[in-house]
This record gives sequence, C-alpha cells and structure tokens, in this order.
Amino acid sequence: MKKALLIIALMAAACLLLTPAAMAKDIKVGGIFDQTGPTGAVGADYQKGAVAATKFWNDKGGIDGIKLDLISNDYAYKIPEALNLYKKYKDVDRVYVIQGWGTGDTNALRPLVNRDKIVFFSASYDGNLTSPKKNPYNFFIGTSYSTAIRLAMIYAKEKGAKKVVFIYPDHPYGKNPIPAGKDYAKKLGLNIGPDEIVSLRAMDATSQLLHMKKFNPDFAWIGGTTPSTAVIIKDAAKHGLTTKFVINCWGFDENLPRLAGKAAEGRAFGMLPVAPFGADVPGMKDVVASAGGKNYTLHYVKSWVSVMVMVEGLKRAKKAGKLNGPGLRAALETLKDFNTGGLCAPITYTPEDHRPNTSMAIGGIKDGKIFLVKDVNFPRKKEYIGW
Amino acid sequence: MPCGLFFETYQKDQSIFPTWWLRCWMIALGVFLLAFPFFAQPISDLVGINVLNMFNLIFIYVVGAHGLNLLTGYTGQISLGHGAFMGVGAYTAGILANMGLPFYVCLPLAGLVAAAVGMIFGIPSLRLRGLYLAIATLAAQFILVYAMRNWEHLTGGSAGLLVPTAKIGSFEFDSDFKFYFLALAFAIMATMYLKNLSRTRTGRAFVAVRDRYLSAEVIGVNLFKYRIMSFGISSFMVGIAGGLWAYYITIISDEHFTLWLSVQYLAMCIVGGLGQVLGSIFGVIFMVVLPELLRIPTELLTGIFPNISDIFASLREMVFGIVVILFLIFEPDGMAARWHTIRAYWKLWPFSY
Repeated sequence: MKKALLIIALMAAACLLLTPAAMAKDIKVGGIFDQTGPTGAVGADYQKGAVAATKFWNDKGGIDGIKLDLISNDYAYKIPEALNLYKKYKDVDRVYVIQGWGTGDTNALRPLVNRDKIVFFSASYDGNLTSPKKNPYNFFIGTSYSTAIRLAMIYAKEKGAKKVVFIYPDHPYGKNPIPAGKDYAKKLGLNIGPDEIVSLRAMDATSQLLHMKKFNPDFAWIGGTTPSTAVIIKDAAKHGLTTKFVINCWGFDENLPRLAGKAAEGRAFGMLPVAPFGADVPGMKDVVASAGGKNYTLHYVKSWVSVMVMVEGLKRAKKAGKLNGPGLRAALETLKDFNTGGLCAPITYTPEDHRPNTSMAIGGIKDGKIFLVKDVNFPRKKEYIGW
Repeated sequence: MPCGLFFETYQKDQSIFPTWWLRCWMIALGVFLLAFPFFAQPISDLVGINVLNMFNLIFIYVVGAHGLNLLTGYTGQISLGHGAFMGVGAYTAGILANMGLPFYVCLPLAGLVAAAVGMIFGIPSLRLRGLYLAIATLAAQFILVYAMRNWEHLTGGSAGLLVPTAKIGSFEFDSDFKFYFLALAFAIMATMYLKNLSRTRTGRAFVAVRDRYLSAEVIGVNLFKYRIMSFGISSFMVGIAGGLWAYYITIISDEHFTLWLSVQYLAMCIVGGLGQVLGSIFGVIFMVVLPELLRIPTELLTGIFPNISDIFASLREMVFGIVVILFLIFEPDGMAARWHTIRAYWKLWPFSY
C-alpha cells in the first residue's frame, strides 16, 4: 500500500514538474473537444483531425519557424467543464487562440472570449456567431447552420416539396438554426408541420415518425448527429415513409450508410460544408496522408481546414508583427477567397461579416458511399449576417 | 496534562471550536484563505491548473452541497432535483439582474425563489420516502430544465442568458481574483449557518425525522413542517449557490443544470460524509479537484502520444468512477469520518487510551 502511494505521489510530482516545462516558445493553442460526450460520435474524428493537422503544419515549419502546441482536452459537452478549460487556457497557458467545439459552450464563452480578446474557432457553425458586431472574436470555417437550413429549404422547394417538417434534438446545436429555417420556409411558401424532437442519444424514433406520418411531409430537416440520424432514417424506412431527409452537417458522414444501411439510399441527403474524406480535390492529398492509412469521416476534414485557416491567420499576423488575439483577428479578417485546395468553399472574413462562405454541396448515398448531388449557393446578403 | 477532552459545562461541550489549539488552526486557515489569491498566479503556473477558478468553484459548490447535505444528511430525504433548483436560483438572479436590480437584492431573491420551488416539489415528501422521493424530485429536475429551455423569452432558451457581473456600489466583481472574496464569504456564511442550525431545536428535529420518523412524530415533531422546512432551507442554499454561479460565469443555459449536476451534488455529500458539515466541504473539494488533477497526466500523455488521446479521455472518466467506488467501499462514512479518525489518533498520540 505504502509503495503504491509512493508511486502515485512520484507520478503526480513528475506530472506537475513536466507540465509547465512544455516548450516555452511555441504558440499554444487551446483545444476543447468532445470525445466522450453526447456528440462524441462525430467529435472524436474532429479531435484527431485537429491533432493531425497541427502535426502536419509543424512538420512543414510551423508559423515561419514557430511551432504550434495544441493542448487537447475532452470536455464531454459539459459547459462548466468548457469554462474550466477556458479559464485554464487563458490564465495558465496564456493562449490567444482556441480550437473549440459545440454550440452550447461556444455561445456560453462568447462574452469571455470578447472580453479577453481570444480568437475562438468553433466546430459550431451557429449563425449568430457570424456577426462581428456582437462576436468579434468568433470564427468558424463551414457554411453556417442557418445558411445550410435555408439552402435545404431551397433544395426541397426545387424538388417540388410542398410540406416540410423539422426534426432536431432538444439541444442548442439542433435548435438554434430552426427559426431561420422556418422563416425561410415561410418565405418560399412551404407548409410547415409540427416539430419532432429526437434526442442525440435516441435508440428509437418510431413515435415521432408515426406522428410525422400523419402530416406526411415531402421533406424533413434533421439537425442531429450521425447515430441519431441513422435511427430516424432506419425507422422511416421501416414505417414506409416517403419523406426525404435533408441532414445538417454533423448528421451526414461516411458512417451513415454503415449505420443505416440501404435505408439511407435515396432517402438521406446531407449538407456538406467540406469535401468527404478522400474526395478527389487537390487539398485532400495532405489530409489523407496525415491519417496514416486510416479512414476517417469528413469531420476530420472539418478540423483540418479549421487548423489550416488558423495557421494562415497566424502567418499573416506574424508578418504584421502582431502575434496576439487582436492581431490574429485582424489578420483573419484580411482573408479573401482563401483557397483550401477544394476542401471547402473559398473562405472570406471581413470586419463586418464573419460568414466564411455561403455555398456548400449536397450529398447523397449510393452503394454505401457518399456522392455529390449538386452544389448549392446562397447569395451573401447583408440582412442574414448574425442569424 | 489531560489526554482527551474533559468539558465541565454543556456550553463548552457544545462550542464550535472547543480548544485553543483548534482555534489557532482556524485562524491559520483563515489567514491562508485570505492570502491565497495574492499567490494564486505563480501556483497556477507551477501546477498547470487555474487554482483561483478551482477555489471559486469549490466555494460556490460548498454553499449548494451544504444545502443538499442538510436535506439528505440531516433530514434523510433524497433529492435528485438539486441541480435544477440551483438552476432556478441562477435564472432568478440572472433575470432580475438583467432587469437592473442590484446584486445584493438579486441574490437573496434567487435563494427565496429556489426555496419556494423546492418546497413545492418537497410536498410529496410527506408521503414518500427513499427511492420514491428520489423519483418525485427527479421529475422536478426534468420539469424545471424543460421550462428553462423552452420558456425562451424569459430564459433566453438554449442560446443562454447573459448575466452582468456582480456589483456593490461601483465595485465590480469582474475577475476571478475579486470574486474569490465574495464566494469565500458566502462559503463561510453557509458553513457557519449549517453548523449552528444543526445544534438548534430545528436541527435536532431534522435528525429525529431522519433517524426514526415515527418516534419523532410521537415525541411531537411535526413531520410535514420539518420535512418541508428542510426542503425550503436546502433549496434556498442551493439557490444562492446558483445565483453566485450565474454572477461568476456571466452566462447561463439549461445545460449547466442537468441531472448530472444533481447526481454530482449527491456524490459530493456521500463521498464527503452525510450529515456532517465537514463532509460537504471535503466532498466538494474532492469532486472539483480530482478531475482537474486527472487532466494533468491526460494532457501530458496526449502531448507524447497524440493518437491515443481518446483512450485517455475515457480513461479519465473511468479513473474518476473507480476512485468514487473505492471510496464507497473503503470509507462508506465519507472523508469526514476518516478525518475524525486521523484527528482522534493524533489527539491521543502516543498514548492511545
């Protein structure tokens, strides 16, 4: 017993001594990821992508010789945990840039991020983060959820839909784009049915789908993650619904055909802010090489692009001699049609508009693989900044 | 020299700090707590943990854990709704603060509203005990969180509610450093209150209800009154903790106040020691500090082997669970009981008779 205690004490002491020694001159990047929480099914790949991309840019010489040090932590989608991590990154590691995750915590951290002038990249593409007036330090790389949901409505309308329904979890990620979607569906003259709530950890969606069947919509929006989406798609096939589903970007990936099987074919259409893993675009070579022979989902690509944009911002900030939060923000706001090698639509940030882009692809599933149905584009209208 | 305690009056026996030695220690602790924030930054840098934030969380949770300990430890009623009651306090403080009311008005009101809600959900306690009551309070948890999420024009819905920082006059508690003293004051107040309450007639009635409710009723304890009162005081304290929390982190959403928080509160009381003032303090320290400590090796190993970080991410949760289980097996009376054993050992040392 005494020996065990001694070993534990020594290990703890070693950890305490080693932590602050971690390479003083690097640019530290805080990482807040969900690997074990309710969104862990898609979050694990995202974290791996961020780590791999950091290594990739470090191997290429970092920020003109300065290496990146990504401190990766799992917060299991618990907002208090995210706040703890944030305070640690700010006061102990003194970071000025963070790679974050969910809608709930990104929104919770907004006032702090603005006060402390820390650039916050999120994996949440929540529309309200795109207004620099309200959130000058928030950035993300994909098409915002609100733009995606509007595009989905346009797509549904084009396909002759008259009735639509929104299916989402009672969760900030699921709920936040819904008002934008309903507003736009009304504008397009679509008939909106009653909302259905399907939790991110649902094992069954029969009751919701049977309820939905009464309204019998032509199209339904799903704002879940891949496992819950697969449940909905499978149950829809089981109960013979003719509804087609357009799925937000965290619910549609390479795992969906594996989880939903044949049910997904011709029924599931996903909004794709980035190219699927291994797609035939010039930028994908480095991404696939960094995976070391493993196959990941497109969420890996998302964080890869997020790190890529951050690196570009840091390089520009360094050139301007302002390697700090405000400097990085100003540098990012000079990005204009930044080419990611086809990994996602060209990225533009301005001091008035933090929407990275307003176009994306819609994907479908055939023979267990994602294929591109079409590219869709939404005009960059001023009135949609921030929601 | 006497080995042991020999009190000659009841007053002395009942005093909170009976010996001068203990009083010295308490003064030392007080000095340490007051001086600590001035040395927090170098300590944070050394250990790689934001210690000031950790202490603030400990103080806030201590207020709430004392509340639940009063209900579960002293009165013997389980509640799985305290996470939501904390949320009621937080939202009350947040909404009133946004209406322009000053901090020192919002906070007591946060406690009172939480107390009212707690008492309403405590009504089933007249007929229900144990697991049945746990399920009734579990309903409170779900109903309240549902209301927080969907009563959007009041609570801001899932986007959250912004709360201004606490202010007294022109002094603003806008940093971890300043907030430390505020939270410390409340933690001390709550501790003193619980300690004193447990020695009063009411406190004894609570214990009587817990130990054998039939006998308590026979000797004239009004069961309904004391059960509801216990729910009220307990929710008041946890509501105050919620208010402090809202002012501390300045944005609240329903996701803070999940069932997990309620379970965590219960775990704090059980690991620390039910029915003991020290128990909730130890429990909170344990539950707040352990995850932080477990993060250090995780972070370190992620730096060395980035590809297995997801294994370590789950490992952290597992170690946490295992430690709690081990505690329950080897120290079922909580950390406070162990502390008493250690103290007793030193009090009698080297003559253990």
